[in-house]
Amino acid sequence: MMRRWLPVAIGAGIVVWVAALALLAVTAEGSQRLGQLQPWILLVNIAGVVVLLALIGGRLTEFVRDWRRRVPGSRLRGRTMLMFGGLSIAPLLLVFTFSVLFLTRGIDSWFHAEVREGLSDALGLSRAALDLRMREYLERTERIADDLADKSDGALFSALDEHMRLAGADEMIVASSGGQPEAYSSAGMLHGMPVAPAGELLLQIRQGQPYVGLEPVPGGGYLIRAASRIGVEQSLQGARLLIATYPVPQRLADLAATVQEAYQQYGRLSFLREPLKLSFVLTLSLVLLMALLSALYGALYFSERLARPVQDLIAGTRAVAKGDFDTRLSMPSHDEIGFLVTSFNDMTRKLSRAREEAEQSRAAVEGERAALAVILAHLTSGVISLEPDLRLRVANHAAGSILGVDFDQAVGESLTELAARHPLLGQLYATMQRHISAGESEWREQITLRNDAGRRELVCACTALPGDTGAPGGLVLVFDEVTQLLQAQRQAAWGEVARRLAHEIRNPLTPIQLSAERMRRKLFRGLAPAEAELLDRSTHTIVQQVETMKQMVAAFSEYARAPELQLIEFDINVLIRQVSDLYHAQDPRVAFGLSLDPRAATLEADQGRIRQLLNNLLTNSLEALDGRENPVIMIETKRSGDQIVLTVIDNGPGFQETLIGQAFDPYVTSKPKGTGLGLSIVRRIVEEHGGQIELENAPQGGARICITLPAVPREPRRAEVRRESA
Amino acid sequence: MQLRRWRHPWLVCVAALLSAAPGLGASADDANRFEIRNAYVELKDGSWQLDVRLDLGLSRAARQAFDEGVPLTLQLEVEASTARRFLPDDTVVSMTREWQLAHDAIANRYVVNYPVTGEQGSHTSQEEALAALARISGLQFADTTQLAEGGRFEMRVRASVEIGELPAAIKMLLFWKSWSRSTDWYVWSVRP
Repeated sequence: MMRRWLPVAIGAGIVVWVAALALLAVTAEGSQRLGQLQPWILLVNIAGVVVLLALIGGRLTEFVRDWRRRVPGSRLRGRTMLMFGGLSIAPLLLVFTFSVLFLTRGIDSWFHAEVREGLSDALGLSRAALDLRMREYLERTERIADDLADKSDGALFSALDEHMRLAGADEMIVASSGGQPEAYSSAGMLHGMPVAPAGELLLQIRQGQPYVGLEPVPGGGYLIRAASRIGVEQSLQGARLLIATYPVPQRLADLAATVQEAYQQYGRLSFLREPLKLSFVLTLSLVLLMALLSALYGALYFSERLARPVQDLIAGTRAVAKGDFDTRLSMPSHDEIGFLVTSFNDMTRKLSRAREEAEQSRAAVEGERAALAVILAHLTSGVISLEPDLRLRVANHAAGSILGVDFDQAVGESLTELAARHPLLGQLYATMQRHISAGESEWREQITLRNDAGRRELVCACTALPGDTGAPGGLVLVFDEVTQLLQAQRQAAWGEVARRLAHEIRNPLTPIQLSAERMRRKLFRGLAPAEAELLDRSTHTIVQQVETMKQMVAAFSEYARAPELQLIEFDINVLIRQVSDLYHAQDPRVAFGLSLDPRAATLEADQGRIRQLLNNLLTNSLEALDGRENPVIMIETKRSGDQIVLTVIDNGPGFQETLIGQAFDPYVTSKPKGTGLGLSIVRRIVEEHGGQIELENAPQGGARICITLPAVPREPRRAEVRRESA
Repeated sequence: MQLRRWRHPWLVCVAALLSAAPGLGASADDANRFEIRNAYVELKDGSWQLDVRLDLGLSRAARQAFDEGVPLTLQLEVEASTARRFLPDDTVVSMTREWQLAHDAIANRYVVNYPVTGEQGSHTSQEEALAALARISGLQFADTTQLAEGGRFEMRVRASVEIGELPAAIKMLLFWKSWSRSTDWYVWSVRP
């Protein structure tokens, strides 16, 4: 509402102000008609000046603030304002100067000496003409007074009328020396009773002089009053006076009035000469002040109007430079600036659109990258991405788990340095280097990595990534650990072998044994002693070997058998003490060192299978310590989270380096009498309970076997083993 | 002793000009007295008439203007009011009358004109004309209904002399010149 009426109010204010300015110029000339409005006119003009000053003050304050803050465009605005102001103020000052000059000189020209002399001459001429008429009337009055001197009182009145008519007088009075009317004759009765003569008249008559005077008449015009003593020889006390009033001819009266008016007007103007000049100068100054203020405000306003689009453009450019592409400038006009603004808006619109597309692309890339990261994180295969200079770009968790490297802390690090610190990665890096040296960008190979914990079988595939400009974009290495798989396959195969052996060999063994015993029983008595001895030794050997083979078949059968686990809670530390005491009793020479963690006591497992596990481990250690001095077997348990770690260490010769990777395989043994199934069974028991087993040679010598069992077993792996066995 | 420097010299200049402005007008006046010497009313012929005697001293500007031919205007303001309790005074009569004094250059006489009645008097000298103007007699201002018997009225009279027929714009723009001169209110009580 306010905004809609504001232009109307401003327009009305300007109209009122301009009208007041025009009226001020009119009243400055001295117009009486508008004189009453003068205070209001002046008030409106002063209000206009105040409003202009306020507006200018506001804009100047804003301008100075912008200038000090070095707001873009303020310099341009200042220059434009100076230019506009100079162009408008200089002509105004010039016009003002010349106007004041012309005015003062014009007013001065009214009062030339010639004008005053001319008016004085006209006045003198009028007076001369009237003086002539006055002398004539005076002489006429004196003659009548002489004539009346001889008249009696009765004839006086009639003579007075006659003389008045003949002399053309308006009025004749015969008065006493004191001025009291005694006889009176008038051409009309307009004035009523005669007025007593003025003191000056009586004074002059008393001095013996006739009186004649020109007197203004109310309403304009003049009359001539003449007075003379009637009868000069009489004394003054008894003398009478004749006072006659004559009209001035109309033509002469009009001319005299005109001269009088002109003379009076000239005198008034002459008196007002300096005030009039000052008034005009002040009015002009006021008008000039308003014009100057208007010009100044106009300069401020238009400089701002001109500079604003440029300021907007600068601000918009800065916003774009800061990344704000949503900046749109309002269209100031349809000129070149408008074209520039349009171009700017088009540019920002395109930039904004391009940024949106880039954002969308980036979001898509980020999404894909996040998806890829999730996929990589959940891949069981290890993935390593390398820069062209073999610095680590990214590696998933599986890669770190397989190679024993924390790749999260190694991003950007050179693979060469990483390989130097991590043996498994070093072996993988050596394989990579070999292929890279051979110029192979894509290769696939099964690699066996070895460390103290054993060996790991990896199936690796490496390929080169394409770069942006055709240059190599790095390498990506994908590998799977197939150790478990191979072992499981091998174990399944051995299980099948054991089952077949048990089935195929066990059946004929009993007939063989029975046949050998029957043969000895039937033939022993009928043979010579030497032959009988031979028979006895042979059949004994057969029976013994068959028994051995039965034991072996039983062992195979045990290996191949996967009994149902009977899980119960028991104290493994107690079990360890029992088993170790048993073995210490068999061979007191061996020292058992127990370090049992009370926190690792309770275990939920098949107690019989765990006992078998301990038996196998201690049997292995005792066999390894056979013949060693100061044989010691250390058994320790400890709690690690929800797992129980069981470690058995001896100070025997340790594992052969060539066999350490295959120690869990059946029939792999370095002992002359071993079946090679002890550690295989141990491994199977551990896996059945969901645990892990690692073996290594201790740094101080001897074997070290570390078993990790869940305190509460997870889903046993028996079914899996069975499936593999099947 | 160190002189104290003015912090805002322009402000001091403006203050000095403002304080000097009334003095400019005052300097234009001469020492002639312009006041009401006495005034009284009387009931004549059924109407109340006012007689006023003035000391009609003209200012130098007024006398100069009059000598140049600018007529003078004598203005007389008459008021009669009754006092009221708890209320503003009730103005019974408020009247303004003007007399003009001009010089007739043709007749070389000083003319006193009373436009209300059209009366006019001419005098050979300025002093005689001013003396005639200073005696205001028999000015009817109220009748017996306005100043009723038994009442108590407060009369106020004030006179002013203006240099007549001057443009209002000039009077306003040259406000510091003493274009007019006024007396104080002459106040007295009347009990008809």
